[in-house]
Amino acid sequence: MAGKVSLFLAVSALLFWSFQGSEFSLGQFWRGIPQLFHFFGRMTPPDWSVWDVLLTSAVETLQTTIAGTFLGALFAYPLGVLAASNWTPVWVHLPIKAFMAFVRSIPLLLLALLFVSAVGLGPFPGVLALAVHSVGVLGRFVAEEIEATDQKPLLALQGTGASSLQIIQHGLIPQVLPQMVAHLAIRFEMNLRDSTILGLVGAGGLGFYVFLYVKQFQWQKSGVLVLAIIALVFAGEFAAWQVRKRLI
Amino acid sequence: MSKEMVIQIENARVQMGGRTILAVDHLEVSRGERVAIIGNSGSGKTTLMRMLKGYVPCKEGKVVVMGDVFPIKDPQKIKTHHRHIGMIHQHFDLIGRETVWQNVYHGRLGYVSLLKSVFGICSQRDLQICAQAIHEVHLEDKQRRFARTLSGGEQQRVAIARALAQEPTILLADEPVSSLDPALAEDIMDLLVSVCDAYDLTLIMSLHLPELARKYADRVLAMKNGKIMWDGSSDSLSNDRIGEIYEFMGTNGVVNGNGTRASRSAFTWPYGWQGQPLPGG
Repeated sequence: MAGKVSLFLAVSALLFWSFQGSEFSLGQFWRGIPQLFHFFGRMTPPDWSVWDVLLTSAVETLQTTIAGTFLGALFAYPLGVLAASNWTPVWVHLPIKAFMAFVRSIPLLLLALLFVSAVGLGPFPGVLALAVHSVGVLGRFVAEEIEATDQKPLLALQGTGASSLQIIQHGLIPQVLPQMVAHLAIRFEMNLRDSTILGLVGAGGLGFYVFLYVKQFQWQKSGVLVLAIIALVFAGEFAAWQVRKRLI
Repeated sequence: MSKEMVIQIENARVQMGGRTILAVDHLEVSRGERVAIIGNSGSGKTTLMRMLKGYVPCKEGKVVVMGDVFPIKDPQKIKTHHRHIGMIHQHFDLIGRETVWQNVYHGRLGYVSLLKSVFGICSQRDLQICAQAIHEVHLEDKQRRFARTLSGGEQQRVAIARALAQEPTILLADEPVSSLDPALAEDIMDLLVSVCDAYDLTLIMSLHLPELARKYADRVLAMKNGKIMWDGSSDSLSNDRIGEIYEFMGTNGVVNGNGTRASRSAFTWPYGWQGQPLPGG
């Protein structure tokens, strides 16, 4: 009982400290609600004259997402296998795990900024940022999936005289493939969401034009693009959900 | 003419964490023999099989399996050794998301080059061997089904077919029927013995039930604490003898302290089928 009381007190203190430090104010939020409506109000009615920009930037966002996710998966899968602690010696999996953790710790927008400064403006730095970020996130999922795989059927395959690569092809991949594809679908969905804001730092896509129009106070044009972002993210979520539903 | 010796063991010791978990002073098994290993859990049955398969290293003594002297260091020889010894596991250990045919084909992987297996190229011979193995276990009508959708008995049949596809000389069966109900267990045991007879395979199986050992084996090894305590023909395995063995080994792991033989009426089977009369006892 005493333990539960002290836990309750500790959690309460932590929450109080966090809300206090972050200047949380319900009153201020309440007073700001009309401003929110005013902001969205300025975006209406949407100015559909930018439909050509919408189309090209939405396609660019989709292309950036597909290319970035593919490139990330290309490196994440082999690295994930090497990062599985029950498959490789400690001197192999530990540095790879550390590398992937390091990559994950860099915020995506910062990665995009780095690549913009390296290769210039446009969707290409966005592809690179998404790819690098995906390696860190997807590689970790792959490693964890392999570590959780039932090893006994793999040992049985080894017992038939199969080589390590044959065991991976015929034993490991069939066991983990559905989860791997499901993770890839989730990653695609997240990357699609992220790529819509990569434009804020000049890495192309819908976000770039949203930011451009907002800076020029062309709210109704930016409203159209915001609607496109919402539709695209919904579509991505629906696609990922369909893939997961069929596989797991 | 004496039969070819496929397994020879002299003073073999397997250690784990500084403790000897298997100590076999002498064991010889000839080609075509059907050997059952009985004993309580932790008696060393599985360790003996894993040592023969090459999964656990034998640090001391002499172990020769199919002419290969342990430890085998050459990777090619290890591969050949694995191919020659098929193994059937208690929980089948199949790839559930692959079909029956694919699981049986896994038995051929030791013969197929990496390039061919990557591109899924099967030789005519591989196809024939897999088809024959599936035929032997009567699963022709289910070869396109995913292994995970099959019953326990059917999955064990697939595991037997996979082992047959290896074209083995020795078949190790580690508790092959422990996960199955008694009627199915008899079916699988009948199948195991019939394929071993048909292909002149040496069968070494660990069993929890002495009556199965007596029915299906030529020879019985009784193990306790990693040692072979009794080695004799299954014909000499009378009910009294089983009582002696389990009394000596200790029912449920407890050694009978007074050294006297337990009476038939007081004797209970350590695992399953309790009180069922022994056939021909």
